[in-house]
Amino acid sequence: MNDFLELVVGATASGCIYALVALAYLLITRPTGIINFAVGEWAMMAAFAGVVMLNQWDWPYPVGMAVMVAMMFVVGWMTERLTVRPLVESGAPPLAPILALLGMLVVFREAISIGFGPDPQAVPAAFGFGRLEWGLLAGSYQSFFIIACTLSVFAMAWYFFERTLHGKSFEAVAIDRRAAAWMGIHLGRVTAVSFAMGAVVAGLAGVLAAPNVSAHYLMGMPLAIQGFTALVIGGVGRVEGALLGGLILAFAEQMTVRYAPVPPGLAMGVPLVLLILFLLVRPTGLLPAREGRT
Amino acid sequence: MTHRRFFMSLHTIQWTRRAWHTVLLSALVGALPALAQNTIKIGMITDRVGPAKPYAEPVAAGATFAVKEINARGGILGRQVELMVEDDQGRPDVSATAARKLVDAGAVFILSVSLTPATQQAQTVTLESKTPHMTPSNGGDTLTTQVNNPNFWQTGPLGSTQIATLLSYAANRNYKRVALITENSDLGQLTNRFFKAGLEKAGIQIVAEEMVPRGSTSADAQMQKIRAANPEALFMTGVVTPENTLILRSYRQLGLKMPILGNYNLSVPVYTSVAKGLMDGVTFVDAFDPNKPETKRFIEAYKKDVGTEPYNLNGYGYDGVMLVADAIRRAGAVDKDKVREAMQATKGFVGVMGSSGAQYGFADGKRTGFDTNGMVVRVYEGDKQGKVVHVGVK
Repeated sequence: MNDFLELVVGATASGCIYALVALAYLLITRPTGIINFAVGEWAMMAAFAGVVMLNQWDWPYPVGMAVMVAMMFVVGWMTERLTVRPLVESGAPPLAPILALLGMLVVFREAISIGFGPDPQAVPAAFGFGRLEWGLLAGSYQSFFIIACTLSVFAMAWYFFERTLHGKSFEAVAIDRRAAAWMGIHLGRVTAVSFAMGAVVAGLAGVLAAPNVSAHYLMGMPLAIQGFTALVIGGVGRVEGALLGGLILAFAEQMTVRYAPVPPGLAMGVPLVLLILFLLVRPTGLLPAREGRT
Repeated sequence: MTHRRFFMSLHTIQWTRRAWHTVLLSALVGALPALAQNTIKIGMITDRVGPAKPYAEPVAAGATFAVKEINARGGILGRQVELMVEDDQGRPDVSATAARKLVDAGAVFILSVSLTPATQQAQTVTLESKTPHMTPSNGGDTLTTQVNNPNFWQTGPLGSTQIATLLSYAANRNYKRVALITENSDLGQLTNRFFKAGLEKAGIQIVAEEMVPRGSTSADAQMQKIRAANPEALFMTGVVTPENTLILRSYRQLGLKMPILGNYNLSVPVYTSVAKGLMDGVTFVDAFDPNKPETKRFIEAYKKDVGTEPYNLNGYGYDGVMLVADAIRRAGAVDKDKVREAMQATKGFVGVMGSSGAQYGFADGKRTGFDTNGMVVRVYEGDKQGKVVHVGVK
């Protein structure tokens, strides 16, 4: 039982990382319809910001996190202004921004690879690497910190979309861009902010994961795949879907490794099987957008 | 002088200058092929953007330094050495194309410093073109056995040598039940295979065998399984630093106590920073003894020239180029057949890598050149790599 609960904490923390990446996809996809596979590279960039600010400059953790959030907001905003908007304004086909962002993925990765070198680098954990035992639950400080941060981010995202006028404007753009524009909603600003917020959330995933996996130039792509799988499982319709998808994916992965009598090589196929199953059986994900709002 | 004349004179001067420039440039361009023809061209296929980059870059840096040192000493056979570098991105298809490009450009010898499958694929070109080809760093045992390519040699320590050295070190501990953990890179899988074969040959039971896929965010599930199997020791066969760090973190977090014995990847100094606080007591196999005289000289020379302290991966590249230079010298010409024969005849070559007294050489019919008694075992003391505690497989 102790083993199981210990694994529950670890799997939840992994699921939270996947969920944050899925949320980064969702924030961009909902109002724009664009799937941005560079979210993984944004996570990597933030992890390296963590290397510089928290490790090399030794800044206090909250200050480093705040600067990272601001930096990623600018990175996301600039990515939209420089990569996506010119294509949209010139009437390029819908696939063009997705391909351009794939190009940006390579630019981000190589920029980091050249700037920081190929070796992985350490990022400090918020409260060190100790182990917390809380009743029957046990896990690393970082696991509990990841869970707490992720729940806070999802609570804020939910509040933003469900309870604020700005959030409603995002939803309106997601439902009908033209009608939203007629209602006076600034489409360009909504798109730019969705990219900026996506970058911030992806960045958080990177900084939270990096103390365990270290910051390295190849860390982005696996996160992008895991986040995308979580998004497909949960559905792009609702914020909660990203969280649910991330948790289901992580639990499926880790419980299979731990308890299923399959060779270790086969266990890693579980996420792909889940992805295929959901695409075939329930392509809208577990939590589709609410009736009457789409 | 009228304005017209002045401008005409100016025009004449400019034309004359241009003509001189053209003549000089033509002479220079004409001289370039002669200059290039006079150099001995060694090709190097390396991974500059792909997954092997963290390992390929330092090996390539060691090779580059070796070429610089050779040229400073007058080159080979009185000719300067030109190192032609191609990037294969760690991709087998690109690696073969890069090999073809190097062959067409006149490479006398090709070094592969990339992923194992990429090195394997490049062999298709060197086999067909009869171009001498070597990998100074790949450790997979199958590189010289899957393709019968008499033009290809491997001088990095093999996976089978690594496990034999570790088992020799652990002989007095008399392990009966052990666990294996790796990741899913090609070389990680290959190393795991040869570690497993070595353990089974020694009659040691493998009670758990786990794999952490690349890009994982946790290794807790795998380490819990190992904890439940209760092995006497854990052998780490993965060669990718982030996943190995994840394994070591879970090992500490879950309170595991069995000794860890790691492959040569744990000898890369990056662990002292990225896995800070996790390394104490970890035993690892290495091919680098900083106290060996040849290695000491290399460390000093490299530091003086490059400005940074070299480590084992730099040494692989350095030794690779020096072995090639030695073969070309003995061949007495850049004829591919003669160079191939000279390389196969290599014996008693003392390099930077390997324990004191270790020698590179190719036994009859074999094309793996690292001394099977040349590996050493070291143990981390805190976050620092400790002294050599064991040498060879005896």
